Amino acid sequence: MSDRVYKKRFILISAIILILSITLIGCSSESVENSDSTSKSSNMITFAWPRDIGEMNPHIYNPSQLFAQSMVYESLVSYQEGGELKPHLAESWEISEDGKEYVFKLRQNVKFSDGTSFNAEIVKKNFDTILKNVDLHSWLGFIPKIAQTEVIDEYTFKLTLTEPYYPTIQELAVVRPVRFLGEAGFPQDGDTSKGIAEPVGTGPWVLDEYKVDEYAIFKRNENYWGELPSVESIKVKVIPDAETRVLAFEKGELDLVYGEGVISIDSFKQLESTGSYGTSISEPVATRQLVMNTNKEQLADIRVRQALHYGFNKQAMVDGVTSGLEEKADYILPTNMPYTSNVDAATVEYNVEKANQLLDDAGWKLPKGKNVREKDGKPLEIELMYNSAESIQKTMAETLQSEWAGLGVKLNIAGVELTTQVERFKANEFDMNFYSNFGAPYDPHTFVNMMAIEGFGFREAISSYPNKEELMNQIAEVQQTTDETERQQLYTSILGSLQEQAAIVPISYIKKIAIYQKDVSNFTFPANRDEHPFSGISVKK
Amino acid sequence: MGTYVLKRIITIVPIFLLATLLTFGMINLSPVDPAEAYFTAAHIQATDEMLEEKRHEFGLDQPLLIQYVNALIKICQFDFGISYVTNKPVWEEITSRLPATIQLTIGSLLIAILVSIPIGFLAGLKKNSAIDHFSRFLSFIGASIPSFWLGYLFIFFFSVKLDLFPVVGTGTWKHLILPSVTLAFPLIALYTRLLRASVLENLQESYVLFARTRGIHEKIIMGKHVLRIAISPMISGLGMNLGNLMTGAIIVEAVFSWPGFGRYFIEAIFNRDVPVIQGYVLLAAGIFLTSNLIVDLIQMYIDPRISRKGRQYQ
Repeated sequence: MSDRVYKKRFILISAIILILSITLIGCSSESVENSDSTSKSSNMITFAWPRDIGEMNPHIYNPSQLFAQSMVYESLVSYQEGGELKPHLAESWEISEDGKEYVFKLRQNVKFSDGTSFNAEIVKKNFDTILKNVDLHSWLGFIPKIAQTEVIDEYTFKLTLTEPYYPTIQELAVVRPVRFLGEAGFPQDGDTSKGIAEPVGTGPWVLDEYKVDEYAIFKRNENYWGELPSVESIKVKVIPDAETRVLAFEKGELDLVYGEGVISIDSFKQLESTGSYGTSISEPVATRQLVMNTNKEQLADIRVRQALHYGFNKQAMVDGVTSGLEEKADYILPTNMPYTSNVDAATVEYNVEKANQLLDDAGWKLPKGKNVREKDGKPLEIELMYNSAESIQKTMAETLQSEWAGLGVKLNIAGVELTTQVERFKANEFDMNFYSNFGAPYDPHTFVNMMAIEGFGFREAISSYPNKEELMNQIAEVQQTTDETERQQLYTSILGSLQEQAAIVPISYIKKIAIYQKDVSNFTFPANRDEHPFSGISVKK
Repeated sequence: MGTYVLKRIITIVPIFLLATLLTFGMINLSPVDPAEAYFTAAHIQATDEMLEEKRHEFGLDQPLLIQYVNALIKICQFDFGISYVTNKPVWEEITSRLPATIQLTIGSLLIAILVSIPIGFLAGLKKNSAIDHFSRFLSFIGASIPSFWLGYLFIFFFSVKLDLFPVVGTGTWKHLILPSVTLAFPLIALYTRLLRASVLENLQESYVLFARTRGIHEKIIMGKHVLRIAISPMISGLGMNLGNLMTGAIIVEAVFSWPGFGRYFIEAIFNRDVPVIQGYVLLAAGIFLTSNLIVDLIQMYIDPRISRKGRQYQ
């Protein structure tokens, strides 16, 4: 082969490499200017979130992230510490005697971020577009019950329900779908379920810059009607991997890491132990529960369910598995939620002797030379389903397996994908399952409601409760009560008997964590589990 | 050559068909209902009516065969459907994320080539020398360290401790280096060994002996003849790995928060976002097929004996 041919080939290969390199530069140079220049702005908080913030549409679920929706859009009512419902975009409200009519006086000085004013017309328009997709939103109890929406005058809005439903005010505090989009945000056909024109809200933050899957920058809404945030902007970096979040935080690329399960417990403890950062743990936001299926032969007997509750050291398990980030739970709902503070149920303390006694009484005896109890020749074998992606559930399942083995109970543990877990629970295809309630602002009414409605799994799971009928009546009644004392009594009784029947075992109270650089101050957790945590936060740089 | 390329292109059609059938079948074998997955992702307890409504919207209430045929007809029109989760066209979602993945792939390919050719070649020439031992060490490490762990190590040392590179983000050369090196590492291990073995083998060939007897300078024999022929297996390896790199970038993209389509695909799997999964698999199949074709062509060009041999049997 001649030198010329060789040279030509050499030139060709060099050219290919050159072209590849140029493509590379081409790909990378487009956004050079926004690299790190913005992240060190003087009055900005950089925060990490596992997923892209999604479309900033207040009326849809996927892929929008709740915290981001709550930064831009606001509700009529706000959920505060201990379940107190405070006026927000609505200044006040009146509920008719029969509990069906709600009249809201709207705040008058509220403007959307584009300068248009917030009034009863726009409230009605938002309600009406939500009601166009009433099936999609039917999980939220009051929405299917809306009979009419009316504009009384510029700042008075009236909501009429088909039947009394006391949690209406509480449900108005949820992040979606009842939050308000400005006129300019509506698409041509007025139906927001397929997308919005632009994210115009009344909230303290405005979406300023957004790069899908990379970051979003929210800047302060200078015309905000309430207290102006002291921070000028919030940068949300999308970091899907928990370990990378920790490393980015250590490097100082993040000011704040916040949420539930956003970083591993070990990482949190390790960062906390350095003493170089501020850390906080929230009040309980939900209860981690163990649900037993009373339809299953072995678990139909209340003595077996009680025995299993007595038969494991809850305190040790919760402390050991969560390193104190969760708290041992005595009640099936956290006691900082409305109507949950004085539940009438005995708490269960670890007592192996009693557990063994209960199992013996129930007829499950330990045959000689065997280590699994039997009754009529059948072994006491139970399966516990857990979400395989959640290490806390997995470790707790393993702990229970070894604890109950000591009682002569064979526990098989089955890790499944989250969606499978939900599906099997709803289809009543399980013996035992981990569950956690929705938390603020959905409970206690959403939780007890799920006991009464078919298809969510709970009604079927507790179907061999002897007092089932009474429970169902009480649950139907509590939603319609207009009397506060009566409502409290009903909840006390419902939650008490749910717990006494021992099919729902409280394990631990789930909490949120936050870890922040030393220059971040005034961090507070939102009382509403889904809201953003930036109210009042400040930073010195 | 023209007919060869045409033949190769025609074989793409049945392969694509098989890919659609396999993906469709596998998605439907999974017991998870996409409608349920949609609401689980949104943290909503779905009622039966909500699920039915969603299934209808997604077209999942139709018989499987009709679903498949509908999907196929759309694909033939280059319509990959609408993502269940984001409600945007899948094609748009993929193409908007593709540049980031391509950038990462090319970056790591360049690094792999630039590092493994000199090391592999020298290790082959100087067997049992220091450079050969080094190449062996590199290969052991590269082949045995999982890329996610390597990624964390790199971030820990080079970003957090030495503060040389940013942990997350895109936009500059600095952002690209750590993820590319992480992705390139196993390739470097592979190619170094491949090239070394190939060089050693070629040194035994008679053409080397003849060239030496003709008095040709050693440097020219090695550089011009041995390297060019020895590099051939490495190039076919590259072709196979180009597809692997693009699809294998998933883990590296997750670790470095790289906004490519691998990361998007992972989310789509968990959310049972069927149109996205299907679109991704087809695209991956397309990338594999084309990169293999291109590599075959390059190889024919570099070592004409391959195509000449082919022609002999025609």
